[in-house]
Amino acid sequence: MPILTTKLYTPSLQPKFVQRPHLIERMNENAHKKMTLVSAPAGFGKTSLISEWIAECMLPATWVSLDEWDNDPTRFFTYLLTSLQKLKKHVGEGLFDMLQSPQTTPSEMFLTSLLNEITTIEDPFVLVLDDYHMIDSKQVNNALSFLIDHQPPQMHVVIITREDPGLSLTRLRAQAQMTEVRASDLRFSSNEVKQFLDIVIGVELTNEEVAALASRTEGWVTGLQLAGISMQGHKDTKRFIETFTGSHHFILDYLLEEVLQQQPETIQSFLLTTSILDRFNGPLCEAVLRDDAIPVQETLRYLERSNLFIVPLDTERNWYRYHHLFGELLKQRLNASGKQVTHLHKRASEWYEQNGLELEAFYHATLANDLERSERLAEGNSLLFRGAVTPVINWLSSLPEAILNQRPSLWVMYAYALMIAGQNSSVEQKLHSAEMALEGEPLNEKNRDVVGRMASVRAIAAASQYQTDQVITESSRALEYLDENNLYVRTVITWTLGYAYRMQGEALKARKSFQEAISTSQASGNDFVQMLAITGLGQTQEEANELYLAEESYKQVLHLAGEPPKATACEAYLGLARLHYEWNDLDAAESYVKKGVNLARQIEGVDSFVACEILLARIQLAKGSPEEAASILNDALRSARKHDFTYQLPKIFELKIMIIIHNGNLQEAERLAQAEKLLMSEARVYQAKGHSSKALQLLEEAAFQIETEPLRVKVLQAVLLYECEKKEQAIQVLHQALILAEPFGGIRTFTDEGPSMQRLLTEASAQGVMPNYVEKILDTFSVGKMFTHPTTSSKTLVEPLSERELEILTLIDYGLSNKQIGERLYLALSTVKGHNRNIFDKLGVKRRTEAVARARELKILS
Amino acid sequence: MTEEQNSLKEDQRDTIYQIRVKGHLGSEWINYFHGFTIHCREAGETVLTGPVMDQAELHGLIRRIRDLGLPLISIMRKDNK
Repeated sequence: MPILTTKLYTPSLQPKFVQRPHLIERMNENAHKKMTLVSAPAGFGKTSLISEWIAECMLPATWVSLDEWDNDPTRFFTYLLTSLQKLKKHVGEGLFDMLQSPQTTPSEMFLTSLLNEITTIEDPFVLVLDDYHMIDSKQVNNALSFLIDHQPPQMHVVIITREDPGLSLTRLRAQAQMTEVRASDLRFSSNEVKQFLDIVIGVELTNEEVAALASRTEGWVTGLQLAGISMQGHKDTKRFIETFTGSHHFILDYLLEEVLQQQPETIQSFLLTTSILDRFNGPLCEAVLRDDAIPVQETLRYLERSNLFIVPLDTERNWYRYHHLFGELLKQRLNASGKQVTHLHKRASEWYEQNGLELEAFYHATLANDLERSERLAEGNSLLFRGAVTPVINWLSSLPEAILNQRPSLWVMYAYALMIAGQNSSVEQKLHSAEMALEGEPLNEKNRDVVGRMASVRAIAAASQYQTDQVITESSRALEYLDENNLYVRTVITWTLGYAYRMQGEALKARKSFQEAISTSQASGNDFVQMLAITGLGQTQEEANELYLAEESYKQVLHLAGEPPKATACEAYLGLARLHYEWNDLDAAESYVKKGVNLARQIEGVDSFVACEILLARIQLAKGSPEEAASILNDALRSARKHDFTYQLPKIFELKIMIIIHNGNLQEAERLAQAEKLLMSEARVYQAKGHSSKALQLLEEAAFQIETEPLRVKVLQAVLLYECEKKEQAIQVLHQALILAEPFGGIRTFTDEGPSMQRLLTEASAQGVMPNYVEKILDTFSVGKMFTHPTTSSKTLVEPLSERELEILTLIDYGLSNKQIGERLYLALSTVKGHNRNIFDKLGVKRRTEAVARARELKILS
Repeated sequence: MTEEQNSLKEDQRDTIYQIRVKGHLGSEWINYFHGFTIHCREAGETVLTGPVMDQAELHGLIRRIRDLGLPLISIMRKDNK
C-alpha cells in the first residue's frame, strides 16, 4: 500500500494566530490522562488549537489525518503504525504483515502486539487522530476502544472530530481519563475576536463593532475569518458590518459570496474547479484545469497569502488541501453552477494513475462514471490487497444491477472483494449472478478469462475451508480458462492447487504445481506467492525424506523474506527447526522454532504457531525437561481447541501421551490413546506395560501409518521385536530403517525410542550393521537420563550404587567391553576397572555377568 | 398487522421530513438538498422539506448538514396519510 505522507503531516502553526492560553493550560494539566477529545462542528479551529498545543507542550507528537477510506481497518492501522514509526524507527515493523491477512477485523492478537510495540516507545508522546468523524466503521471504533482501554501510560491520544466518536466516553469521563474541548470552549470571546481581527486580519474596529461581529458569528472562527477577509476588500467596513450583522443569511453562504466576488475571475475559476480534489499540488491542478491562462504556482501562493483557506500538507509546500468547510462550499457552488464535472474527475484520475496513486485514480474514475477505467484500476494492480477492499465494495454496490449484468467481470470482482473482506456468505450469490449474466454470451477470449476468474474465486474459498477436492476441481478449471497473460491470478491458483495436492498426499503432483508456481511468480515478481510456493516445495521434499534439499528450499525462503523477516517465512523457520531436530542439533532447532513462533503469531487463522509449539515441546522433552514440555503442550492444546485447528490435535495428543507414559501414569495414557484413536500411542502404552508382543500386533494393523510413515513404524517395530526377545528379526528391521534414514542423516527418529533402542543399536553395531552410522546415533544417547526410576530398589543394597556406577553397570548390560565403556564415558581403563570392583562389592558378586543378573533381581536394571 | 410489519411497510415508501436549520439559505442550495423545498422563516431559520427514502438516507442528510457547519435546530417527520 503506498503511503501518502501528507496524511501524516503535523499541521504547522499559522504565522499569525490568536493564542488561547486558558485552553492550552487545561490540556497541559491533563496530558497525563488517556485522552483529549476535541469535539465541535466544522470551522471551530479544532486543528489549529491542537497544533498550537503540540508546539507548546514539548511532547513528541505524531499526527494522522483520517479520511473515509480509513474505515478499512487495514488502511487505518497501516497509517497508525507508520505514524508511530515517526516517533521510533521500525517500531511495529513486523505488524505490517499481520495486516496483509485477508481479514477485516483486527484481532485481539494484533491489538495486543500493537500495544506491546507501543510500550517500547520510552518517552511520553501524543497521538493525534484528526477528522475522526470520517470513521463510522464499527471495527475501527472497537479496535480503538480496545487500544484506549489498555493503552500504556506514556501515550496520550487526541481525537479531533465533528461528532462524538463511537467510544465509551461516559466511562472515560467517569474515570476522569479524558479532557474535553467542545464548541463552547472553542468559541472566541469578544476579547479574542478583537485580537483575531487585529493580529490575523489587520483591521482595527471599535468595541461596538467587535461585539456586533462576535454576536453575529457567535465566536465561530471560520465566520470571523471570512468576515475579516471580506472587510479587507471593503472600503467601508462600518457599512459591511451593519449589513452583515443585520442579515439573516447563513453566515458562510453570505460571506463566501462576498469573498468570491472580490476575487478576480481566474481565481474564482481556479477555486471552483479544484474543489473536486481532496488534496492537490501544482501539477495535479494543471492537469485538471488545462488552462494556460491560470498560473498555478502563483495562484497557490496568492491563496495562501490571502488566507483563502488553503492548508499546506507538507513543509515543502507541495501539497495543499482546502479547509474542509470551505472546500465543501466551493463544491456545492460548482454543482449549483450546473457545470459538468465528470471530465474533471477523469483528468484527475489520469494524473493519479500516471503518478502511481492507484486508489485515488480509482476514486476519481468512479466519480467520472468511467466504468472501464474504474474496473481496470480496481483489479489491474491488485488494489484489493492493499487496504482498499471497502472502497471497491462500496463502488460495486452503488452500481445498478443492469450495469453489472452488462459486465459480468464486475460480478466476479464483487465476489472476490467480498471474499477478501471475509463476507463469505454472499460470495456464491455474486458468482451466480455472473453466471446468469454470461449465459448466451459467446465464449470469446475475454469471457473465458471471466470464467477462469470465477473458478479461481471458488478455489480460494474452498481452500480456506480445507475442501481439497473442490480446490483441485476449481483450480484446474481456472488454469484451463484464465488468460495466459493473467499471470497474477494464475500464480496464486497454481500455488493453491499444489497446496491441495499436498494435503491429499499427492506428493508428485504437489511438487509439480509448486515448481510451476515458483517460476511464474518469479516471472511476475510476486514475492509473496514465491515464498509460499518454495515453502510448499520444501515441505514436500521433507515428506519425501529429502531433508538436505528441503533445507536449501527453506533457506531460500528466508533469503526472500528479508530482514526483519516477513511473517510468511514462519513455515520455513518451522521446517528448518524440524530438520535440525532430526539431526539432533537441538539448540539450532530451538532457535529456529522460536523465530518461527514469533512470526506465526502474526498470521490470523493459520495453525502454524500451534505446530511451532508442538515442536518446541518435543525439543524440551529431548533436552530432558518433561515439565516444561507438558506446559508448552497444554498451551498448544488450548490454542488448537480455541481456534478449531483439528489438524494439529493428533500430534498434540501423541506427544502428550509420551509424556504421561514417561511420568508413569499408564492408565491415563491408555485412556487418552483409546479416546483419540491413536494406534501408535496405544502401542506405546502396551510397550510401557511390558506387553511388547501385544504392541507389535497392534502395529501390524496400523496400515495407514505403515503407508504414510514407513520409517517411524519400522523403528518402533524393531524396538518391540527386540523387547520380545526376537533379536535377529529386530536387527533385520532396524537395518532396513537405518538404510532409509542414513541418506538424510536421521538421528532422533532412533534416539527418541529410548533405552531399548540404545541396547538394540549396540548389539547391531557389535554385529557389524552399519557401524559408523550406528556409532553416530549411539553418541546421542545420554546415558544417565535413561533411568527414569533410579531410586526404586537401590534401598535393598546396604550401600546404594552411585550414578556413575549405575551408568557403567548399564553399559556392561549392553555387552560393552571395559575398553568400550572407557571410550564412551571418557574414562581411563583403570578407572573403569576400579568402578567395576566397587559395583561387584556392593552387589556381592565376582563377575560382570553375575553383576547384571543380581542387578536384575534387585530391579536396579530393567 | 403487527407493529413491526407496519413500520417495515412504512420504511419502504418515502416519508416527508422537515428539517430546521439556523440561517437563511439561498435557492441555489436546491441542488445540494435534492428534492427538498427551501423555505426561509423570519427568525433567521430555514425549513427544508422533502421526501426521505429510509433511515440511512436521513442520516446521510444530517451528515451533510453537519459538514456544512449548519446549526441544526430540529428534525420532524410529517405524517403523510
